[in-house]
Amino acid sequence: MIESNELAAPRAAPLEPAGGRAGRGFWQHSWEELRSNRLGIASAVLLALLIVVALTAPFFSQFVTHFGTTQQDLNNPFSAPSRTHWLGTDELGRDTVTRLAYGARISLGVGFLTVAISLTIGAMVGLFAGFYGGVLDDVLMRIVDVVLALPPVFLFILMSILFRPNAITLSVIIASLGWASLARLVRSEVLSLRSREFIVATRSLGARNGRLIFRHVLPNSLQLMIVAASLGLAQVVLIEAALDFLGLGIQPPTPSWGNMLSNAQEYFVHSVWLVIFPGLMIFLTVLAANLLGNALRDAFDPRLRHL
Amino acid sequence: MAEAPARPQLRSVWTAAEPILEVRGLTTWFPVRQGVLQRAVAHVHAVDGVDLSVRQGETLGLVGESGCGKTTLGRSILRLVEPTAGEVFFKGRDLLKLSGSELRRMRREVAIVFQDPYASLDPRQTVGEIVAEPLDIHGLAANRKQRHQRVQELLRVVGLNPGMAGRYPHEFSGGQRQRVGIARALAVDPTFIVCDEPVSALDVSIQAQIINLLQRLQKEFNLTYLFVAHDLSVVRHLCDRIAVMYLGRIVEIAGSNELHRRPKHPYTASLLSAIPIPDPKIERHRQRIILTGDVPSPVNPPSGCRFRTRCFKAQEKCAQEDPPLDTVQLGDHRAACFFPVE
Repeated sequence: MIESNELAAPRAAPLEPAGGRAGRGFWQHSWEELRSNRLGIASAVLLALLIVVALTAPFFSQFVTHFGTTQQDLNNPFSAPSRTHWLGTDELGRDTVTRLAYGARISLGVGFLTVAISLTIGAMVGLFAGFYGGVLDDVLMRIVDVVLALPPVFLFILMSILFRPNAITLSVIIASLGWASLARLVRSEVLSLRSREFIVATRSLGARNGRLIFRHVLPNSLQLMIVAASLGLAQVVLIEAALDFLGLGIQPPTPSWGNMLSNAQEYFVHSVWLVIFPGLMIFLTVLAANLLGNALRDAFDPRLRHL
Repeated sequence: MAEAPARPQLRSVWTAAEPILEVRGLTTWFPVRQGVLQRAVAHVHAVDGVDLSVRQGETLGLVGESGCGKTTLGRSILRLVEPTAGEVFFKGRDLLKLSGSELRRMRREVAIVFQDPYASLDPRQTVGEIVAEPLDIHGLAANRKQRHQRVQELLRVVGLNPGMAGRYPHEFSGGQRQRVGIARALAVDPTFIVCDEPVSALDVSIQAQIINLLQRLQKEFNLTYLFVAHDLSVVRHLCDRIAVMYLGRIVEIAGSNELHRRPKHPYTASLLSAIPIPDPKIERHRQRIILTGDVPSPVNPPSGCRFRTRCFKAQEKCAQEDPPLDTVQLGDHRAACFFPVE
């Protein structure tokens, strides 16, 4: 698009002969940017694979491994990785692959649910506090300060005693603290967006606050939320595993990566694979989520964009 | 229009013969906050008691150097910045007294075109969505088809290819983006448009096109402009009357040619003397008035006449008394100066 086009243009005539095509928007651009990032794509594929495994765990156990999560192969306790038990068995002869697949349901389920809850609350609080400012902002941000000042471990212990831990209560417990830092993040973005000229321009057209917040501020802070969600997923998976490990999360016999690790502590001298495989799953999931978060951040960052 | 009987308005009566916009004593101060309690320790006197009237169909230029409050004045009139005091009568109704919903309805009549066409368009919306937004806000399109047609029409009116409605702002040049901004302003069929330095961010060659576009639209849609600028030659070409602003006040107002030929206020005279003359022979002998010092802080404006600290004609009286705008009054030409030029 060159300026001379404009110079030559007659009054009120189209400035460019080529017309009709739809433009390449921000999201399309970011997607192209992300696609050229190999590490980011590899992380996304790995996460997608884990999600597929988690979703298909029952089929997986029935048709691929032929073992249930609590089914005992009493002839083969502490089996090393073999043809029948790909990743070995534990002290009760339970198949590790099957249990890891079910563990993925817990880890990723809690991960995504927690991120969804804390992002919804955090984004709302951040949007309203940042956009309206004043007393509302003061009140909401003081609440955020209080939440951030609570010692998480004690709170998790207390909550786990009060509520019977399952995937949903665990998500709610972790999200009850996780939203606060997201609210802060979103608020600071909204503060800078609020004074941008296109917001003033839209206000000058007579737009209500609702339209300004949900049609302009929210779409422009969405990229920040997506990055935060991806990085948050990694954190939540770690926290959830830690709670399981401490016995405050998912209770045996339901398998989770965390309680499998916890269980394996006693045997790791002679059956090291019992430690290695759940550990590796946690490690890979957290790594993939973090790398994807970074790749997304790079893809969205306009300073790295060559327009 | 002028002969039409006065239509009763909600609070007062306005006829087309009266100024479409009448600003009285408009004042916008910004608090300077300090300390833990964020108490206001002082105020920036961005706009400090401005009286102004704009007649229907005319273009009033508002000039002044950066930081003199001209943009704040434009935005205060539209209540994009909340003024501290004063009255802004638009068609006889005080805009500053309107409630939220009344104000939103009023925004159908007054529009604004911004200086920076890069910052004033939402990067996540297509140009079509941007132009359609005012239609959605005020429910001006009955259905999708009508909305689509109106967007196409608006883009055509400002000289853009309607086929480009699906593209995003970053795919356009600065001049084209400013056209989008103008199309958006026109979407509500306004009668009055504040042009906030609409060409300052553009290349000189593009500036002329945008100015011509604005002039054509004014004729076509019978628009009234308040044209904020810092370029006197642009303003002279475009405006019927010009108001010169200094440190939050209007110091001189006159017809465009009158102001250029016979400036009364020393500040106006010095501004005009800075315009280069495109003839090397005359240019070499041009008399320039060089001002000394800087613009004083708008937090603490000087006593009396605000310009006295830099004025080559300043006397004792200037420090003690504040000259009102009608100190010099020659018909339409008014200036706030005790010792006018010539």
